[in-house]
Amino acid sequence: MRAVGVFLALVGGAALAAPAVGDKAVATAPPPSESRIDWTEARQHWSFRAPQARPRPAVKRKDWPRQPLDWFVLSRLEQKGFAPAPEADRRTLVRRLTYDLTGLPPTPEEVGAFLADARDGAYERLVDRLLASPRFGERLASMWLPLARYAEDQAHQVGNDTKFFYPNAHLYRQWVVDAFNRDLPYDRFVRLQLAADSLRDEKGSSSSELAALGFLGLGPKYYNRNRLDVMADEWQDRVDTVTRTFLGLTVACARCHDHKYDPVTMHDYYALAGVFASTKMVNKAPSGVVAANTEAAKFPKDALHIVEDDKPQDLNIFLRGNVENKGPVAPRRFLRVLSDADPEPFRQGSGRSELAEAIVAPGNPLTARVMVNRLWGQVFGNPLVGTPSNFGLLGDQPTHPELLDDLAIRFVKNGWSVKSAVREMVLSATYRQSSVVAAAPQPVAKGKKPVDPMTADPANALLWRMNRRRLSVEQWRDSVLFTSGQLDLTGGPSLELTDPANRKRTLYARISRLKLDDFLTQFDYPDANVHAEKRAVTTTPMQKLFVLNSPFAQEQAKALAARLTADAGESDPSRVTRAYQLLYAREPTAAELDLALAYLSGPAEGMPRWERYAQVLLAANEMMYLD
Amino acid sequence: MDKGNRPRCEGPMDAPVNRRELLQRMCAGFGTLSLAGLIEDSASAAEKARLPHIAPRAKRAVFLFMNGGPSHVDTFDPKPDLEKFAGQQPTGDLYRKNKGSGYMPSPFKFARHGQSGIEVSESLPNLARIIDDCCVIRSMRTDVPNHEPALLQMHTGNIQPIRPSLGSWLLYGLGTENRNLPGYVVLRPTPKIVVGPALWSNSFLPAEYQAASVVTQDMQVEKLIANIRNPRLSPGEQREQLDLLERLNQIHLARRPGDTELDGQIKAMETAFRMQSEAMETFDINREPAHVREKYGDTAFGRSCLLARRLLEDGVRFVTVYYVNNGNQPWDTHQNHNQNHPKLCADSDRASAALIEDLKLRGLLDDTLVIWSGEFGRTPYAEQADPTKVGRDHHHTAFSTLLAGGGVKGGTVYGASDEFGMNAVENPVHVHDLHATILHLMGLDHERLRYRYSGRDFRLTDVFGKVVKDIIA
Repeated sequence: MRAVGVFLALVGGAALAAPAVGDKAVATAPPPSESRIDWTEARQHWSFRAPQARPRPAVKRKDWPRQPLDWFVLSRLEQKGFAPAPEADRRTLVRRLTYDLTGLPPTPEEVGAFLADARDGAYERLVDRLLASPRFGERLASMWLPLARYAEDQAHQVGNDTKFFYPNAHLYRQWVVDAFNRDLPYDRFVRLQLAADSLRDEKGSSSSELAALGFLGLGPKYYNRNRLDVMADEWQDRVDTVTRTFLGLTVACARCHDHKYDPVTMHDYYALAGVFASTKMVNKAPSGVVAANTEAAKFPKDALHIVEDDKPQDLNIFLRGNVENKGPVAPRRFLRVLSDADPEPFRQGSGRSELAEAIVAPGNPLTARVMVNRLWGQVFGNPLVGTPSNFGLLGDQPTHPELLDDLAIRFVKNGWSVKSAVREMVLSATYRQSSVVAAAPQPVAKGKKPVDPMTADPANALLWRMNRRRLSVEQWRDSVLFTSGQLDLTGGPSLELTDPANRKRTLYARISRLKLDDFLTQFDYPDANVHAEKRAVTTTPMQKLFVLNSPFAQEQAKALAARLTADAGESDPSRVTRAYQLLYAREPTAAELDLALAYLSGPAEGMPRWERYAQVLLAANEMMYLD
Repeated sequence: MDKGNRPRCEGPMDAPVNRRELLQRMCAGFGTLSLAGLIEDSASAAEKARLPHIAPRAKRAVFLFMNGGPSHVDTFDPKPDLEKFAGQQPTGDLYRKNKGSGYMPSPFKFARHGQSGIEVSESLPNLARIIDDCCVIRSMRTDVPNHEPALLQMHTGNIQPIRPSLGSWLLYGLGTENRNLPGYVVLRPTPKIVVGPALWSNSFLPAEYQAASVVTQDMQVEKLIANIRNPRLSPGEQREQLDLLERLNQIHLARRPGDTELDGQIKAMETAFRMQSEAMETFDINREPAHVREKYGDTAFGRSCLLARRLLEDGVRFVTVYYVNNGNQPWDTHQNHNQNHPKLCADSDRASAALIEDLKLRGLLDDTLVIWSGEFGRTPYAEQADPTKVGRDHHHTAFSTLLAGGGVKGGTVYGASDEFGMNAVENPVHVHDLHATILHLMGLDHERLRYRYSGRDFRLTDVFGKVVKDIIA
């Protein structure tokens, strides 16, 4: 009876035009071959070649660059006849910087102090203060966790079964926050997340950072884990998450057939899948107590959700991805295209530590590029490579290839320091540009026709100005709570966002694979079932209904109104001024003040005028966008 | 083995000349990520780009989902041979070892109905009455006879829970007809449902293609839609508040000329304001006259079907109505099948038929596709030996799906299962084929409706699916 319902996919080669075929065709399909690929040729793709150190490019405006990266940006601008935008004013800069490095707005006092600091190096001091803030790690964790498809449960739950849940997932999250805060070198950051259990610390004792293994240990688990086909799905998640996050490669595409575009074969895929097939997922307390097959409530209190080595095994290639159709054995090893010759088989346990070493090896052309590109995207709004998790042949080309190489090389040279890389970016003249489009384009050189940048490069690929950016859901909710005086800056275990008592940063919200919180879904937080390359940015009326009518919006308007009275007394102009300082890091204009006073003097039955007005300010575009 | 042994993956149909061309082929989608026509008053370029691939027969669709899997041999697929061979053990390769009392005839009588003379069980008298408007597919099949994977397959085409749902794909392909309402609405009487939100997920499709999920246990409009009404301000007071907001946003925009995204935010706010009054009206079934409400029946499913009609009428693209109750999957009649099945039918039959008739009465049936189905069928043989508790198990190699309206040939039967209802033998229709056909009726080519994600193109039908042309009028 089963045979009747079975259609098997043929997803390789020319067979695509006739997708449904029977068992027979599959059985006789040729085994995947590595010999089809000319590996020397394949390694010529830009991202597979080692980053090249370049001389600083020539520029005309030698007084503009502030940081090494600026020379690359300015040189491209000048080549294309563009002039960089003027530097943003200091209020804009302090707000931009504070949001970018901490995810929160500056306080009026911080703005005042920066404006008043007339000494040399005021901007640098501000940058260094913000980089040293514990909020910095939280900000970057917001970038990292969706890459690691961080979540605390599973997409699928039978009944009330919680044995696949991760009640202590927050320990991994906290480890990530701390790692960014102490500027853990990125190569170590990678090694720990893949193989902390086999690493030694400086003193030679085994690592105390097992929580880092949550990167693997919080992966999706599916029911029927005794079935090979189910485990094959889980291994795909691990391969996909690891290769897209660290290497910017979509290796999981090669599960059923050699990769369609990239030089990644089924051998490569199963060689990596074998690493995870040699690994087991455990809920293990530091004392060594392991919870086996029990409900989450019965896990040891401090259990970490991590991986351990299991019996090492090399997988057969599953032809067409079908676990019952076994092809040749694929010994565990690294990707061939990223190896000099034939990659050596992994020999230590599952091979996780060897995999980690291969990822951070000096000769790996991808790892540093991929990370600096993500950091660039975080700081500038758009990454240099528009597909940050796909540096393969179908990925975007870098807008500034030499710049990307230069950043990657110096990232490694600077000891893989994330803070140094971010520091250079935010200190740059490129970053300090205004985001406002100048009314009239300026000629670059005498006698030359001015280029209208808005027509020539509306997407700002050349970075002729700073990008105006929409705040992420984390930044927006956090700033509303922060400015209304409600934000609780402690971390620790997660709270539901629907819990009215939850005043913690959004980073500390419970993330569900089963049902992502409605508010997070509404505001573009990605699905936590898979690695999220980047976020969509959508604008919907449903978001506005939240801003207008939700209990959260109502309560925060009330809290803000109360705070303004507490801060500025009963005088309406003082309170309005204070509101603008708190929310937008500036003073209101005369027109804005007039509008406010006129509105505040209206009839005041029901909801107090001040609460209505506070809600308007929280709902305004200025609250959601960063210049 | 079942198809769960094999992951599925969509490759390009033929080698693209270059990346740009590939992107262009992926219909719609691109450039709609940040704003889309959803919030603009005049159709934007993005929206125009969503022109259907083929002439659409249906503009909107509703899926009446019978959670748990209704028995095909007790509804739309008469099997007199079960009587003849009652008690005999089924032969062949069964998915699960059978411990029951063998073939189990339907206790419900089948009779021919309408001009078409299609045989329908006495448990569905109302659908039988309008069978000339319907097409019965008797040769449906899906990959796995377990609820979760089968539910996921029927909703997303894939048996693991990480793919966009049919409704999200439709919204992505076609956009919305009414910008003052959500384009995709999911109605369910109870919050808990097997699998859960993965069934209506937009997954990697942008959030604007997400479903508005509505629990219909309390039909008061404020209970139905989150944040639809301001608890403290009258519409006039809120208008005054939003006038101030718009002034401030305009001042902000004037200092940032040419930023269409900021302008989009302003428009979205206005849409939200209008949505409050429009949705309050559309979602309010109390505006229906008593005789109409009476036709649907005063049950959770009946009220939800009536709400579905109001939504479709006002331009919602896709509505799913779940037949669930506190049991989550009421049609899962492993036990006491002969007692429970008629009760479920009575409720579902009345409301489903009322919806189809009501749509027809309003001239909407021609371009509204109605789908009535579960995730699979039930075994033609008994699951248990105890004759007092007799029930039917999950069955995935043959089941029935009912279609009506939206360009479907009424009064037709398509495909057939074997003499016992064990296997679809004539013109089998896999769930992928059903999806391809639904997309086709809505004007979309299932092979061209793609979305690039994670380095490759995804489709609702993956590399499968064949449009069932014979059922199209």
